[in-house]
Amino acid sequence: MSSRAIPTFFLLSALLLSSCALPGGETSAAEPAQRQFFAMNTLMTLQITGEEAEDALSAAVEEVNRLDRLFSRSQSESDIARLNAHAGDGTDVPLSPETTELLSLALEETSATAGAFDVTVAPVIDAWGFGTGDAGQYRLPSEGELEALLPLVDSAALHVDTAGNTARLDRSGMEVDLGGIAKGYTADRLVELLGEYDVSSALLNLGSSTITLVGNNPSGQPWRVALKDPQDEEQQILLLSLSDQALSTSGAYEQHFEENGVTYHHILDPRTGYPAQTGILSVTVVSDNGARADALSTALFVAGPEQALELWRADNSFECVLCLEDGRILITQGLEDQFLYNEEDSHGYTCEIVRR
Amino acid sequence: MATPARSSAADRLRPAPGDALVVLLVLCAALALLWLLRPAPAGELTVEVRLDGTLIGSYPLEEADAPVYVDVNAPWPLTLELDGRRVRISHSDCPSQDCVHTGWIDEAGEQIICLPNKLIISLVGEQDTQSKDFDVIVG
Repeated sequence: MSSRAIPTFFLLSALLLSSCALPGGETSAAEPAQRQFFAMNTLMTLQITGEEAEDALSAAVEEVNRLDRLFSRSQSESDIARLNAHAGDGTDVPLSPETTELLSLALEETSATAGAFDVTVAPVIDAWGFGTGDAGQYRLPSEGELEALLPLVDSAALHVDTAGNTARLDRSGMEVDLGGIAKGYTADRLVELLGEYDVSSALLNLGSSTITLVGNNPSGQPWRVALKDPQDEEQQILLLSLSDQALSTSGAYEQHFEENGVTYHHILDPRTGYPAQTGILSVTVVSDNGARADALSTALFVAGPEQALELWRADNSFECVLCLEDGRILITQGLEDQFLYNEEDSHGYTCEIVRR
Repeated sequence: MATPARSSAADRLRPAPGDALVVLLVLCAALALLWLLRPAPAGELTVEVRLDGTLIGSYPLEEADAPVYVDVNAPWPLTLELDGRRVRISHSDCPSQDCVHTGWIDEAGEQIICLPNKLIISLVGEQDTQSKDFDVIVG
């Protein structure tokens, strides 16, 4: 080999090697820390990337469990169980600041959505057997039974004092269930908590229908979020490309049962006591605020497409995707540059952008 | 007869045997790298069973003549069916039955969840990350 050929060989080999080796090295450096655990009646998956990812992960899991112990309706020592136990006896029940903050946020959403979202709907949820996760408990309550329960669904009879950290339910038999907002609020608390750590990105999946994204994904690109087809859980209808946002989805497919040929699902209209039938199959809300996204996904489903879009037009704090029974997917303007929809793989849906 | 003066490498137009050797070595290096960095073949898959966060069982998925059934001692007992390179929960005493309705899973990274039991069945193995065009599914 000539004296020039040897360095040429090594140079070429080195180039080849370095070009092949780089991507692998980058991947391992950005490997996220991940943990799965059961809390708030669901399976949660937290994925965090950054220098202090492991410490942040442990703190986040601890925080979720702490908030679960406050907000759970089934744990007898929780704030919410104690509040419910004192319903109608005139007691201002002492609660943690997080619980009064969340109750107060829930009341704001009730007022903003004209009662389409209401945390005092619990007695009606129980009458249908939803919320237990036990399909054997689902049942069709009689009209009379629902009529008797509806006076107990009344957020005006829930009094929250955020300064004194107490709350009171006016009528005996009233119950609060925070299932429609607690996970979104918890996600917001986690984002705040992660701010105390050296963390570059996080995927906070609090039970697949409530997801919060921190930063970009570990490869530095916006997170790619696929929306489930409400008519076929194996398929996805479109992709959203998002950073630093919270998402929440409500779909009629999650819990349902059939009786006498009629399908009844678990998203109940607090004003009627019956499952909301508004032509919506699923709602996904995107917002900076997880609690708002969580509450609104239920509220918009209950409100129906027209009122949902009215709410959106009157409010700049969220965007949404409405998947309708007539095969249309309505996407609000703010998501126009952030969604990817493949017409050839659309599963029969057509996409429309809704403008203000 | 005088030996003709040999031109310097820089002036030469025709390749010399040394250059051919370089080309050969680079080609060999490239081929070796291609072989080393080839996509991993569909590797071994292992079924991991976690009950409320604790690993309680691990079973390699192997081609077999007949399905293998594994009884899991969970709060609501259930049975796993391992059939070649796939697994499902074939029976569960749990109230929701969502885990049974999930059906078969056969790819690394897939999971079956039994919420009432706080149980996760995971397929662990080499994941084909290239084929995924999203980070997470919401819904």
